[in-house]
Amino acid sequence: MKKNEILACLKANKKISGYEVSIVNKDSRELFYVLDHLEINRAVKIENTAITVYVSDKKTTGSSTITLTAADDKDSLNKKLNSAISKAKTAKNEYYPLAPKTENIKEKIEIKKDLNEIASNVAKAVFKADTYKNGWINSTEIFVSRFNEEFINSNGIDHVSEHFKVEVECIPTWSNKKEEFELYKFHESNKADYNQITKEIDEILKMAKDRSQAVTLKDVKLPKDLKVLVKGEMVEDIVYNLAENLSYKNTYIKQNHYQINDKVSDNPFDLTMKAVVSGCSASRRYDSNGVLLKPVKLIKGGVAKNTYGDIRFGYYLKEKKISGNLPVCELKADGVDIGKEKHLLVEAFSSPQMEEDSGYWGGEIRLAKYFDGKKYIPLTGLSISGNIYEDIKKVEFSKETTASKYYKGPKYMIFKGIEIS
Amino acid sequence: MLDKYLKSRIPDAKKLVKDLRRQYDYVSVLGTVVNTKKINISTHINSMDEVDNECGFVIKVYKDGRYSEYSCNDIRGLKAAEVTKAIRLDKPFTKEFNVRMLEEQEHTEDFIREDKAKLSDKKIIEELTKVKDDMHKNDERVINVHTVYVKRQTSKIFVSEKKCLSQKYDWINVVLAVVVRDKDKIKTNYKSQGEADSLEALNKFKAESKEVLDIAIKMLDAKPIKPGKYTIITDPSISGLIAHEAFGHGVEMDMFVKNRAKAINYVGKRVASDLVNMYDGAVSCLSAASYFFDDDGIEAGNTQIIKNGILQTGISDYLSAMELGTVPTGNGRRQDYQRKVYTRMTNTWFGAGKDKYEDMIRSVKHGYLLCQTNNGMEDPKNWQIQCTATYGLEIKNGEFTGKMVSPVVISGYVIDLLNSISMVSDIVKIEGSGMCGKGHKEWVYVSDGGPYLKAEAKLG
Repeated sequence: MKKNEILACLKANKKISGYEVSIVNKDSRELFYVLDHLEINRAVKIENTAITVYVSDKKTTGSSTITLTAADDKDSLNKKLNSAISKAKTAKNEYYPLAPKTENIKEKIEIKKDLNEIASNVAKAVFKADTYKNGWINSTEIFVSRFNEEFINSNGIDHVSEHFKVEVECIPTWSNKKEEFELYKFHESNKADYNQITKEIDEILKMAKDRSQAVTLKDVKLPKDLKVLVKGEMVEDIVYNLAENLSYKNTYIKQNHYQINDKVSDNPFDLTMKAVVSGCSASRRYDSNGVLLKPVKLIKGGVAKNTYGDIRFGYYLKEKKISGNLPVCELKADGVDIGKEKHLLVEAFSSPQMEEDSGYWGGEIRLAKYFDGKKYIPLTGLSISGNIYEDIKKVEFSKETTASKYYKGPKYMIFKGIEIS
Repeated sequence: MLDKYLKSRIPDAKKLVKDLRRQYDYVSVLGTVVNTKKINISTHINSMDEVDNECGFVIKVYKDGRYSEYSCNDIRGLKAAEVTKAIRLDKPFTKEFNVRMLEEQEHTEDFIREDKAKLSDKKIIEELTKVKDDMHKNDERVINVHTVYVKRQTSKIFVSEKKCLSQKYDWINVVLAVVVRDKDKIKTNYKSQGEADSLEALNKFKAESKEVLDIAIKMLDAKPIKPGKYTIITDPSISGLIAHEAFGHGVEMDMFVKNRAKAINYVGKRVASDLVNMYDGAVSCLSAASYFFDDDGIEAGNTQIIKNGILQTGISDYLSAMELGTVPTGNGRRQDYQRKVYTRMTNTWFGAGKDKYEDMIRSVKHGYLLCQTNNGMEDPKNWQIQCTATYGLEIKNGEFTGKMVSPVVISGYVIDLLNSISMVSDIVKIEGSGMCGKGHKEWVYVSDGGPYLKAEAKLG
């Protein structure tokens, strides 16, 4: 159904007190390789429409979300809307408003090349790194996508934004002649940076080589209180967990470990939630309720200073300036130089774990490198674990910085006293 | 009954197949409609939504040794030329590749399995609300209770030159999560029920709610485990987690094609103690991944993967089977119509043994009963394990000591763990409520389970 037809049905239904409409168009090209053989290629051209209807009185708000399909017409939409109204009246909540009208965002991006051509160039960039005799790229999946998103609500918001995304999943393998070893690489970016892709694939191939030469804890005696450096997804998970503890929602439902003015860490780092950060592909100017996003400094000098979040829980907490559900964390801290000190550098977890409630974090490690003061010794088959709410108190950060999907800041978090087994 | 819209598109699918066959050696159309009802009654959030719905088509073609696919919302009026244009590749980066084309047998059939309970939304809300309210009444340390009822009604059609299949099946999940707080300690415990019948799912949900709360309260005093090697008894959910994560991913045969699975070298060889039997298949039991044909239009199967400790075979989608020269096992699954087919597990479980649970506990000198799946991660190439149990109960000299540890991570080498299995209980439970990713994406509904298993494992 066309947007105007949908809006006409919503406006004509007097039982609806408010609505949100989200229309997402996706156009993508996908290439799937086994070694450097293209096994299958795919094209996706779809539109997804979701409508949330609100039924509010002075004390309560009920909502229900429906999705439209190609099968829907005016009659079926009206039936779905009436069913949604009935559901919204049944599943009621404490009153909260919809996002008020503000400046409407109109973000367009210009993609000069055809998506097929970009996908093919990404493939070339991946295989440019495939230069080793005993190491190779076992399988590769490439997704090049363009999204056009429109968000409309009954208060007059009408945001339009376009996004571009390159995703590469790659499995590097290395043979030590007795056995083959693999690792996992997922690259996601809002630009097709071919040189960066080649560099990252080359790095993960070298890490696969390290794994093929890795020994276990039976072969190396680690000193007590060894400093442990973690990076990548584990750092993202830890930082996001700190932020979640200061979200409006977790504050309201009391499922939080921090309140304003609590000391989070002895290390005086700053953590700011932002809308748009260069290099972070999750950057957005508005959230899923259409709220224009405003940055919030959550932690200043190691102390919790603010909360952030969506309009609903911000309203419940009587926040005067609602930030919106900010997508990107930026962390600033004085970095330390690990230098010649003995340490364990965790290169790759099987799947990093971070339990928000209990604070348990860690996991099984596919590749770590122990620096014994002179050289790095690759290690595998070990695990680390700790409690983040304790461990963060004495955390240190590297001088080297990084930017990933949700995070910009020091590349490594450095912990001491972590259980290694 | 099959979704009406999907049924109306069968003639369009047949026409598109006929038109595209002029250019391609093989053409199929998969149509999917998923209608989901989700009722969420929680301490602070109530909602009734139709989220995660799905409606769309995948056109698959084959020519010159390669498959191509086009995913779209609708096929009515879709021209063959539009499909050809969308999937065209100008000078693709590739070496020669020549996959065999599937030879299909004539097959026309309609399948159906529906939720027999006709429960009103009001009744479901009453049941969820009562459990939530009772939790709060029973203990003041309860700060949040989440109850969720999800009913997924899946309709699919598969049309090719020789096949015209349709299926409709329902699956219901009811989830209970309770969050308890004592000063700075916060713990969450949950239980998820999956059934083909709403009434059965809700009855199990109610019956187990007290235990969910009791364990959450006990978790407040749980300590981290002292890392080391222990005798373990796994409950059926942890047995299922081991079957699925530690071993199952390694026998998905698209991993064989990519030489990413160690298991390819172990077919016909010992991988577990001779007490171990393992199965996977959409018709191996009635659970979350029970369908009638897969997303390649291949009839659902039941594969015995391990027989008396010996690896028999893997499971496969049809593209992998074509490349390996084997028979597809009905394990080709997509996250949704926008995604590619991969070889995926369905209902994966260890078979029953002869031991009594009580005898197994009595046989442990010092170890843990590991309970409730938390998460896991596969490593099919190198068979390293990462499986996490939500909690463990200490056993000393054949008796529970009352001490709980939480969470508990099982690590080590898969084959060492499976070969150490020394007792297998005579009861099997399969939980149909999980979702599984492949690597870090491609989520599909799965179930897993098994008997209680006694083994030796590294815990941390």
